[in-house]
Amino acid sequence: MLIKSLPSTWDVEITQAVNGKEALDAYRAGKADVMFLDLTMPVMDGYEVLENIQKEGLNSFVIVVSADIQPLAQERVKKLGAMAFIKKPVNPDLIESALKQYGIAL
Amino acid sequence: MSAMQLTEDQRDAMQEITNIAMGQAGSLLAELLGNFVNLSVPRIKVLALAEVARAIRDMVGSDIDVTAVRQSFQGYLTGEALVIYGQNGCTELGDLMGYDEELDRSEETELLLDVSNVLVGACLGGIVDQIKNLTEAHGTAELGFSAPSVMAESVPADALINPDKLSWTHALLVEVNFTLEGRNFISHLCMLMPEHSIEKMCSILDRFVESY
Repeated sequence: MLIKSLPSTWDVEITQAVNGKEALDAYRAGKADVMFLDLTMPVMDGYEVLENIQKEGLNSFVIVVSADIQPLAQERVKKLGAMAFIKKPVNPDLIESALKQYGIAL
Repeated sequence: MSAMQLTEDQRDAMQEITNIAMGQAGSLLAELLGNFVNLSVPRIKVLALAEVARAIRDMVGSDIDVTAVRQSFQGYLTGEALVIYGQNGCTELGDLMGYDEELDRSEETELLLDVSNVLVGACLGGIVDQIKNLTEAHGTAELGFSAPSVMAESVPADALINPDKLSWTHALLVEVNFTLEGRNFISHLCMLMPEHSIEKMCSILDRFVESY
């Protein structure tokens, strides 16, 4: 569903992961320049993914996309290095503006 | 009735819808209790009625006694919502809400009913909000709720549902749970819907998937 909310003009290859661990593995393998990360996931949640990215000093560009709308959740992911927080249900315009804000060519 | 199961797409859609609804409920709970709330990954199952009690026990844990509040809902969807607390859930609630003195039994019950009502209302309301434009009558999907009532206190989790009391053959069981950071508190919200609501939900979920 998120994939359909990405800008249609954005020419990218998409890798999907079903949980945080898979996402982190794909990230480590250099399969992503941008990661859209949910927080509530089995096996490894989004916070742990961010912690690991930070710990391993991976080059990170993570946009958190979550239904967890507690203000504290937003604060925490920003502290853990997330570039943006977009709440679900996703408004495609917000994705586009977040990407543009960081100079990603669409 | 044909074999009742959700397809993978339907389950994914239900999980996504539930996740969004529980996020709203969790945020209200966080505000109410002044504590960060951890959200679970929603668990979704279609079960024969006889399997429901065991499924709930498996989700809640068999080693603890639970206290549960129930609210039935009817309207566009019909079913039962149970909010299940671990043994010390009620005492923890009073403490979290900042009551210094120990609450008496009726105050404790009132608090339990209030918190449960918030969770049930926000979760089911959140689900209906997302699906109402996908119903046959576009834009309408009203739900009415019964008053919350304590259905059981300190009982094993598999004693909550008595299949003899329900005239259903199947149930869609949707479970989410809320835990509080740094506290020994958990509350499970289980939503149960019988076959005619499952059929409605399935068509809605198909339309939800198509809309993306």
